[in-house]
Amino acid sequence: MNQWEVYVNDVKELAEDAEIELTIRTLNPGIHKFTYKRVRAQLSSDLKKHADQLQVRLGRGQLSPSRFSIKVLGEIQRMPAKYL
Amino acid sequence: MAAPRSNREFIEACVKSGDAVRIKQEVDWENEAGAIVRRACELAAPAPFMEKIKDYPGFSYFGAPLSTYRRMAISMGMDPASSLPEIGKEYVKRTNGEPVAPVLVDRKDAPCKENILKGADVDLCKLPVPLVHEGDGGRYVGTWHAVVTKHPVRGDVNWGMYRQMMFDSRTMSGAVFPFSDLGKALTDYYLPRGETCPFATAIGLSPLAAMAACAPSPIPEPELTGMLAGEPVRLVKCETNDLEVPADAEIILEGEICPDYKVEEGPFGEYTGYRTSPRDFRVTFRVNCITYRNNATMTISNMGVPQDEGQLLRSFSLGLELEKLLKSQGIPVTGVYMHPRSTHHMMIVGVKPTYSGVAQQIGQLAFGSKLGPWFHMVMVVDDKTDIYNWDEVYHAFCTRCHPANGIHIYRNSPGTPLYPFATPHERKYSIGSKVVFDCLWPVDWDPVNDVPTVVSFKNVYPKEVQEKVMNNWTAYGYPPVK
Repeated sequence: MNQWEVYVNDVKELAEDAEIELTIRTLNPGIHKFTYKRVRAQLSSDLKKHADQLQVRLGRGQLSPSRFSIKVLGEIQRMPAKYL
Repeated sequence: MAAPRSNREFIEACVKSGDAVRIKQEVDWENEAGAIVRRACELAAPAPFMEKIKDYPGFSYFGAPLSTYRRMAISMGMDPASSLPEIGKEYVKRTNGEPVAPVLVDRKDAPCKENILKGADVDLCKLPVPLVHEGDGGRYVGTWHAVVTKHPVRGDVNWGMYRQMMFDSRTMSGAVFPFSDLGKALTDYYLPRGETCPFATAIGLSPLAAMAACAPSPIPEPELTGMLAGEPVRLVKCETNDLEVPADAEIILEGEICPDYKVEEGPFGEYTGYRTSPRDFRVTFRVNCITYRNNATMTISNMGVPQDEGQLLRSFSLGLELEKLLKSQGIPVTGVYMHPRSTHHMMIVGVKPTYSGVAQQIGQLAFGSKLGPWFHMVMVVDDKTDIYNWDEVYHAFCTRCHPANGIHIYRNSPGTPLYPFATPHERKYSIGSKVVFDCLWPVDWDPVNDVPTVVSFKNVYPKEVQEKVMNNWTAYGYPPVK
């Protein structure tokens, strides 16, 4: 099970049971903790629906009580190829 | 006492004088190190030198490097007990001289080249990048550092302290405001051409190099560092671009800024004492190479409520540079001071009030300068008010500033997204508002019949009475006055 975190201005941005794009950071222990990736994912407020867990922070870093389970469907490479 | 030439010499000097403590026990890079630094700032305690970091053997942290005037004095090679006016006078003296050009050294003489990571080995997570505050948008690589760039046309070098967040193993995002030197170069040159901008981030600088990177001086920072130190700063060529970086820095990150591609940055605890600027898409730094000293020390500034080095040093150098500006325009100023607790938002100016409108002239010059976006209040007092004594300044403000005639407001001026009072719209577009508090008696008032007399011990009693009272003070039964 992986732990993830996302920043949003409003929890309503996190649509459930639909494929959405998110910028999430890993909360897994280790030196790469807090690094980001852009992903396609599905969320559910049913914490048992998906294996990974997602916690939410708001615009100024406040931890939201909302929790989701998350399925990461794939990583999105946003950076233009010329910079890779 | 000579000015420390490197971060290491500075740490040694601070430990020796009792202005830094060695922390031997292991410290977590996630929040704990930041919390130690924050508490040290709020208590004005010695700077923490954390020698053992969880997950990162061989690395150390040095926090709150310049968050007290004592450490600022040490950084300049002065007695730690030097007063603020003494430090300020020395800064002005040194920075009014001839620029001291840097010297280029061979890479074998550059400690920052002791370890080099290139290609697939580049991973920012190999460095002990701290999570400075709980809730920050990321781990911040650059909190007390210099981002080195060179203007593509003019060729002038810029060292700027633009905060940098680690986004992933090779990418950082940073707050580069459009009115800054780097912001203008990106907008005017690199973005239209679709070219990347070479950069290098130097971490663990000598304290005077950091001071120069933070100072809003028109003198290029390498030369300014040399002027402050009294000797040339040693630079060395980067591995992957043509930039030159301080050879004695602890860590160097080399790479390119991608002007047409932005990633999320923030929120972050800021110098105003708040998290104000929203998470937003900001400038992207792509890292191609990391070099670092053996047993490298990463410097941490933890910005928050006063006082940390962001407030203290920026207030110090902004005030002195504004004083130079005003004097260069012939304004009869007697001193300029920014109290760090104002988070360098209020400039207090002492002036000889010899003509009307001088307070507004000062405000307009200061706000209209390149430094203007960084503060929004100017309070002008007369030359008899001690600008360093907040009690006197506050008394002058509350008694001499006419509520209708003495407050002058300027709207739609340059601001920053970091102003806590700004509306969300103003933050988004860096729109500011400014105010001048004119605490001078009007020059058209009769000095004998219209200007009120200050009623104080030193002002209303004859000198012989003052001396008699002071000499007899303990005889009256009072404890001695310190």
